[in-house]
Amino acid sequence: MSGQKTSFLLSAATFLLLEVAALVLLHSSSTVQNIWINRASHRTKAFLWGGGEALRNQFRLDDLNQELQAENARLQERLRAYELRDAAQEEQEYVAPGVNPAVYHYIPATVVKMSRNQVHNYIILNKGSEDGIRPQSGIISDRGVVGIVEAVSQHYSYGLTLMNPEMSVGARLGSTEQVGPLYWDGVSTHRALMRNLSAHYVLYPGDTVRTSGFSVFFPPDIPIGVTGNSRLVDGTTREVEVFLFQDFSTLRYVTVVENLAREEITALEATVEDAL
Amino acid sequence: MKLSTVKFILLFVVQLLVWNYSNFLQYVFIVFLPVMLLCLPIERGSISLMLLAFVLGVAADFLVNGQLGLTALALVPVAALRRTVIQLVFGNEILARGEELSFHRQRYTKFATATLMLTSVFLLVYLWVDGAGMYSLGFLALKYVISLLVSTAVSVPVAYLLLEESTGKWN
Repeated sequence: MSGQKTSFLLSAATFLLLEVAALVLLHSSSTVQNIWINRASHRTKAFLWGGGEALRNQFRLDDLNQELQAENARLQERLRAYELRDAAQEEQEYVAPGVNPAVYHYIPATVVKMSRNQVHNYIILNKGSEDGIRPQSGIISDRGVVGIVEAVSQHYSYGLTLMNPEMSVGARLGSTEQVGPLYWDGVSTHRALMRNLSAHYVLYPGDTVRTSGFSVFFPPDIPIGVTGNSRLVDGTTREVEVFLFQDFSTLRYVTVVENLAREEITALEATVEDAL
Repeated sequence: MKLSTVKFILLFVVQLLVWNYSNFLQYVFIVFLPVMLLCLPIERGSISLMLLAFVLGVAADFLVNGQLGLTALALVPVAALRRTVIQLVFGNEILARGEELSFHRQRYTKFATATLMLTSVFLLVYLWVDGAGMYSLGFLALKYVISLLVSTAVSVPVAYLLLEESTGKWN
């Protein structure tokens, strides 16, 4: 009888110990990505599953080529527009020397691994600290916002995608200029929800949603998607569904964007918070 | 290395592949790790089973899943409850005699019931912790039910594969 009791107590203690250990692991891995075990996990995942992702993309080469061609055309169009604008500006004024409007630094990267079927989805890119990528940089594609870099190793970057409850993007509605957070809807790979919008505005489906530029991660005016139906939440705010331009199931090439003024902005915010 | 060990390792790899490549739906989470624990030898003690569950869970999270510790958190209770479930479904005699589980003697329905019970424990912890704050209760319940049914359907053939040898003995 005493032996049975000891055995039960020992099992219960082991159970509690293992559950606490799992919870500690879970907590540390979801809040601090840059711990050694997570870095090792990211490297291993990139090594193990990178081949599979490359193989998957091999079967999509035609689609990818078409996407690249379309992106190329869009970029050329924009470049031409900038050239015309620069030429017009030069005629009118001299630009003051030393003024550098380039606040963002862009680094192209390829997706090595990306989860799409979980609640907390992540992305691993083939560029790391050696390539100039730093944590807390934004990840975008030509079709919108992808995620945020959370941790960086020498050759790889680990980020949370928009398909993650821990991530939201500051977005702006085209017609009304309303700003609100955009969250993933938790189910689809191409649908999100924009929340906390004023209830008195009438929202029409088909309106373009862009980044607000209020966060330190993403430049303003990156197209994210178009609105669908909206609904009133608790009678006070409005929530609208957004069909993303970026379909996460077909993502391969991305651009990491670093806000060069981020540290200055966050330091300023910290100073103000301390003063209050 | 014993054939059953090789099968166990191979099925664990298959589970990892399923998790990595089943990108089709957010409504379904396919898991057969609970039935793999159920099919381990009866004489294995609860403590060693819980330790094995923890290691398997951490390994799965390390190699595939995003959140380290989540699978371990859900799999350890499965290991802890395995003996109770065997007692409830297969009876006390099998534990007293130290017999191996076998499809020939215990039948599919009993395996399906035991699998359903253990998988339900795993999914309850896993989906609740993973989806907390993200999904409504209705969505989580729907995902739970669909995942439970699909996982149980997948788990029964997995159990058959793992217990082929002991089943063969009774034939």
